[in-house]
Amino acid sequence: MPTRLDLSPAGREVVLAFADDEHLIGARHTAWIGRGPFLEEDLAFCSIAQDEIGHAIALYELLVDDVDDVDHLALLRDPADYRSCWLVELPCAGWADALARHQLYDSAEALRWEALANSAIPELSAVAARARREEAFHLAHARGLVTRLLDSGGEGRNTLVDAIERLLPTAVALWEPVAGERAAINEGVVATSSADLGERWWTEIAALLATHGVAVDRPSPVAGQRGRTARSEHFAGLQAEIRLVIDLDPDARW
Amino acid sequence: MNIYEVFLHTDGKDEFRHVGALEAPDDELALLLARECYVRRGEGDELWLVDRRHVVVGSRQLLAPNQDKPHRRSDGAAIAEHRRRVRAASDAPGGGTG
Repeated sequence: MPTRLDLSPAGREVVLAFADDEHLIGARHTAWIGRGPFLEEDLAFCSIAQDEIGHAIALYELLVDDVDDVDHLALLRDPADYRSCWLVELPCAGWADALARHQLYDSAEALRWEALANSAIPELSAVAARARREEAFHLAHARGLVTRLLDSGGEGRNTLVDAIERLLPTAVALWEPVAGERAAINEGVVATSSADLGERWWTEIAALLATHGVAVDRPSPVAGQRGRTARSEHFAGLQAEIRLVIDLDPDARW
Repeated sequence: MNIYEVFLHTDGKDEFRHVGALEAPDDELALLLARECYVRRGEGDELWLVDRRHVVVGSRQLLAPNQDKPHRRSDGAAIAEHRRRVRAASDAPGGGTG
């Protein structure tokens, strides 16, 4: 089934960057299957992980000639051909880190879907409209846990604030655009620039934290992600994990 | 954390059914968690959560005296049992001819 959108290379990069972020955050979230802080949260977090991977698939499908090619695109590229940000490549092995990232990433994700919902390309705005309905719940989930922990005082609050402060410089770098983003905006692929979305994101995050008595300065983004072409030190391990099954038989059809 | 009993309504003519329970710190989070734990495959179109502390519980002692009153049952089981006994008695060798 032909699914590929007729996109310029710049437009393709913009969509690919979002798809890769959704794919890898979903993959990282799944590490919590069976390890969540309590049963209900374990199920909820992994359900969200599945949603994110679903979002990634919906975007990848618009970039391939045949839906059967999605696995190859998602799993088997050279690291340099991914356009993920480093925030989604981080392991976040502790729950506080995973929750902090969930909030920082999903606040950004909601804004990126909004920008894509206003795309001039109907297929993209349709995918975005569907994702936004789910994303509202993801965000409510993150915010629900984060605000309660921040209000709880004591160790829970301190651990979470520490995680947020540690992750912020990596999170801010999520707004590093792919090369050619300006051209993609001019073509109508996406409605808003990463820089503009990043401003709104920071306002939201700072307000959320301030409401719960946490004052943070806007951090400088970690260096090294210009154009989203370089992978972090954590990518190789993550790619090895997500390739475990397909490497057994790259031509298997499901 | 509070425990909530979860009820789902699946279609127009059915009543809400109890599908399980969950643990959550408050009502708002309970709804979000219930959505992901019980309705992620569209298992229902309406959801009730009942804080277990608000459930009025009848004790076993309250119910025990009524456990053995088959004559109050409306399913015909008592009459069926009576007729079965009569039939068995009449079929037995040396039994009456009715």
